[in-house]
Amino acid sequence: MKILLALIKKEIKQILRDPSSIIIAFVLPFISIMIYMYGINLDSVKVTMGIKNDDSSPEVATLVKSFGHSKYVNSIYFDNQKDIEGAIARSKIKGAVIIPNDFSTKLARGQKADLLVITDGSEVNTANYVQSYAMAIANNWLTTSKYAASVKPPAINAEIRTWYNPDLNSHYFIVPGSIAITMTLIGILLTSLVVAREWERGTMEALLSTSVKPIHIVLGKYIPYFILGMLSLIFNIFLCVVIFQIPFRGSYCMLLLVSGLFLFTCLGIGLNISSLLKNQFLASMVAMSAGFLPALMLSGLMFPINSMPIFFQYLTRIIPPRYYVSFVESEFMAGGVNSIRLENAIFLAILGLLFFIAVYKNTSIRLEKVPQKRGTKERAVE
Amino acid sequence: MYTVEIKNLTKNFGSIIALNNLSLNIEKGKITGLIGADGAGKTTLLRMIIGLLTPDKGEISTLGFNPVTQKNELTPHIGYMPQKFGLYEDLTVIENLTLYADLKNVPHVFDRMLEFTTLAPFQDRLAGALSGGMKQKLGLACTLLGNPDFLLLDEPSVGVDPISRRDLMKMVREMINPQTTVLWSTAYLDEAHSFDTSVVIDKGKVIYEGKPHDLAPTPQEFENKVIDLMGGYKQEPSKIAENYTLREDIKDCTVEADNLEKKYGNFYAVKNNSFCIKKGEIFGLLGPNGAGKSTSFKMMCGLAKPTNGTARIMGIDITKDPEKARSNLGYMAQKFSLYGSLTVKENLEFFASAYGIKFKNRADKVREIIEVFGLKDYANQKSEELPLGLKQRLSMACALIHNPPVLFLDEPTSGVDVLTRRDFWNHITSLAKKGVTILVTTHFMDEAEYCDRISLFYKGETISLGTPGELKNKAKAATMEETFITLIKESEGK
Repeated sequence: MKILLALIKKEIKQILRDPSSIIIAFVLPFISIMIYMYGINLDSVKVTMGIKNDDSSPEVATLVKSFGHSKYVNSIYFDNQKDIEGAIARSKIKGAVIIPNDFSTKLARGQKADLLVITDGSEVNTANYVQSYAMAIANNWLTTSKYAASVKPPAINAEIRTWYNPDLNSHYFIVPGSIAITMTLIGILLTSLVVAREWERGTMEALLSTSVKPIHIVLGKYIPYFILGMLSLIFNIFLCVVIFQIPFRGSYCMLLLVSGLFLFTCLGIGLNISSLLKNQFLASMVAMSAGFLPALMLSGLMFPINSMPIFFQYLTRIIPPRYYVSFVESEFMAGGVNSIRLENAIFLAILGLLFFIAVYKNTSIRLEKVPQKRGTKERAVE
Repeated sequence: MYTVEIKNLTKNFGSIIALNNLSLNIEKGKITGLIGADGAGKTTLLRMIIGLLTPDKGEISTLGFNPVTQKNELTPHIGYMPQKFGLYEDLTVIENLTLYADLKNVPHVFDRMLEFTTLAPFQDRLAGALSGGMKQKLGLACTLLGNPDFLLLDEPSVGVDPISRRDLMKMVREMINPQTTVLWSTAYLDEAHSFDTSVVIDKGKVIYEGKPHDLAPTPQEFENKVIDLMGGYKQEPSKIAENYTLREDIKDCTVEADNLEKKYGNFYAVKNNSFCIKKGEIFGLLGPNGAGKSTSFKMMCGLAKPTNGTARIMGIDITKDPEKARSNLGYMAQKFSLYGSLTVKENLEFFASAYGIKFKNRADKVREIIEVFGLKDYANQKSEELPLGLKQRLSMACALIHNPPVLFLDEPTSGVDVLTRRDFWNHITSLAKKGVTILVTTHFMDEAEYCDRISLFYKGETISLGTPGELKNKAKAATMEETFITLIKESEGK
C-alpha cells in the first residue's frame, strides 16, 4: 500500500510538472469546444442567392420581394445572366433564381410555369439548401398571390414535431460529444507515453529492482490519470453547461459514473499501447491512429453509424467511444433513458475490464516477458 | 562464503549469444570489478544475478535465493544502479530519495546521505538539472537506501570527470559495511585495478578471475594484461591515416580561439578563452563536467554564437563566415550524431552530400571510406544496430569524409571499451602525424597522455595550459589523474 501511494504521489508530481498534460486536460477541451461551437455547423444556414426577373408584371415583383424577406436567404438582384455566372464562379452567391418572361402569363392561364434554379454543385449541401429554399419561397408566394385559386391544396398535411432538440441545433449533440474526444485524448494519448517513458529513461529497470509488484505499477498509472481525467471531465461539463449553455436533461451522477467507466476503458487502451511498445514516439503514433482517429470517425459523433458500410458498423462495436458518444448524447438531450445507460455502461465495463487484464498481463517483474509456464510456477511459490 | 554462485549460465537473445556457459563465484564482503568489452555480456550478467532476466540454461544463487523463483524475497536485500542511474528527472533530489525510500520501505532519514553526497544544498533542484557527476551521486544514494547486503553498479562512471569518479569511489567505500558485497562493472581499468577482485569477461565467458594485483602491480600494466587476455591489440599502421591526403594550403596556426566568451545572463559559461593550435597538433580540452568544454566546442564550430571574441579555423572567422570555416573541419559529437534508421552506407552518403562532395564523386568516395574504415561487412546494416565501437568508427568516418584539415572530437570514447579506444587513438595519432589538427575532449586521463598540449578548463576559464609533462611537473604528480585533481583543487583554493 505504501509502495502504491509513493508511486501515485510520484506520478501526480510528474503530471503537475509536465505542461503538456495540463494543456491536454484543460486547455484543449476549451479549444475543441470553441471549435465545435463556432467552427462546425451542421444546421441549415442563410444562403446568398441571385435573382433575375425577366417578367415585368407587378404581381411577379412581389415574388422577388418575398425572396428578400425570407430569413433563410440573402438575395441579390441581377440584371443580366453574365453577372450571375461571374458571381457564382467567384462564390459570391451560392445559386440563382431566374424568372422567365412568360412566368405570369402561364400562371394566369392556369398552365405550369417554369422557374430556373441554378445551384453550385461543388458544394452539394448548400446546393440542396438553395433548391429547397427557392421552391419553398415560390410555393409559399403562390398560395398568397392572385393565382392562389388555381392551386389545389395537398391531400395530406404533415405536422412535424422534433423531439429532444426542437430547434434542430446540432451544437446540442456535437459539443457534448466533444467530451468523448477529450476523454479519449487523456485516456489514450497521454497514457500511451507514460509507461514507455519509464522504459526509455531507464527508470523501469530501477523500479523492477525494488520490491515493486506489477499490480503497483499498473494501479500507479491508472489511478493518477483517472483522477486527472475526471477533473478534466468536470471542467468539460462546466464549459458545456454553464459557459456554452448546452441544455442538460440527464443526471450528473449517471454522467460521472458512465464517464468514469469510459475513462477506465481508454486508460486501458493507452497503457496497453505503452507497455507493449516501450517507445514514446511509436506509442504516440499508434495511440493517435488506433485511439483518437476512431473516436472521431467511428464513434457516431461526426458520421452516423447506421449510414456506414456494414463492416464498419460491426467494427464500431469494439470502439469504446461509440458507446460513450451514444450515452452522452442521450444523457444531454433526452435525459435519463435507463436502457441506453445500462447497455452502454455494460459494454464499457466489459471492454475496460478486458483492457485492464491485458495491461496487468503485459506488466512483468522482469525486463523480458516470462514464458507462461514459468509465470504460474512463480505465483505458486509466492 | 559467496554472495553469488553461478553455474553453467547461458543466455541467448535471438541468434546472439550473450552469455555462454559461464560459471562464476562472487565473494562476500568484497568489491568485485566486472570488466569486459562492449557487448561482452556485463549488463546481461548483472541483470540475471538480480532476476531482471531469466537464464536459458544454468543456475544462479544470489544471497542464497534463486532469482528466477524468489525474486520477491531477493530484492529487499539488493541495491542496483542501472546505467542511466534510474532517476526521475522531473522530480527533485529529495523527491527521488523519498520515492525510493518508500519503494524500499525504509524511513525518510536522508541527512547523512545528503551530507555525504554534498547534495544537501541542492535538495530542491530537479534531478534533470544536475550535472553528470551529481546525478551519479544521487543515483548511488538512492541505491544505497536501506543498506543493501549486495550492491550492483552498472558502469556508474561513464562520462563522468575524474573528481566525481573519485568521490563516487569514496562514497561507496565509506557507506557500506564490511559484510556488503559490491559488484561494479566498469570500462576504466585504473578503477578496476583498485578493487579487491576482478572478473574479466569476453564473448560471454569468464577469461580472468582473481586479484587485480596478481595480474599486474600498476594500473597501466593491468590494462595491458587485460588487453592481452582479450586477445591482444596489435598496433598496425592506420589505414585511415595512410589514405588521408592533407591539403597544401595549410597555415601554421590552424585553429585559433581569440578571447572566446559565452555569457548566459550573469553567468559566464566560457570566459576569455584564447589559444592557438598548430598544424598536426593534438590539443586536449580537459575539465570537470559543466566546466564549459562543450560550449567552447560549439562556439568554435559555429553552432553557438559567442557573446564576445571569436574563433578562426584555417584563418577564417567562424562568426563572419561560419559555412566556409566549417567546411574545413570534421566534427564528431558526443553520443555520435548518426541516423539510427539509416544504414552505414546511407549515413556516409548523407554526410558526403552535407559536406558538399559533388554527386559524381560521391559514390566513389563512400566506397573508398567503407573500405578504409573496415565497414564493408556492415555497409547495409542499420547504424542503430551496430555495437558502440563500430558506431564510433562510423561517426569518425562521417567526420572525415571530406578530408578536413581540422578534426574536432567531443568525448569520442565515452562508454567505449579499452580495445576500441586503443585502436581509435592509433588512428588519431597517425592522422596528426600526417598534419591533421585535432581538438579533443575526454574524461579518460590516460588518453590525455596522447595529447601534445592540454588546456585544463574549469568554471569557464583555462587554469593551466601545457604539455602533459609540464602539467605533471606543475602539480608535482605522477599521473595525469592526480595532476587533474591537484590543479582543479588548487584553483578552487584560490
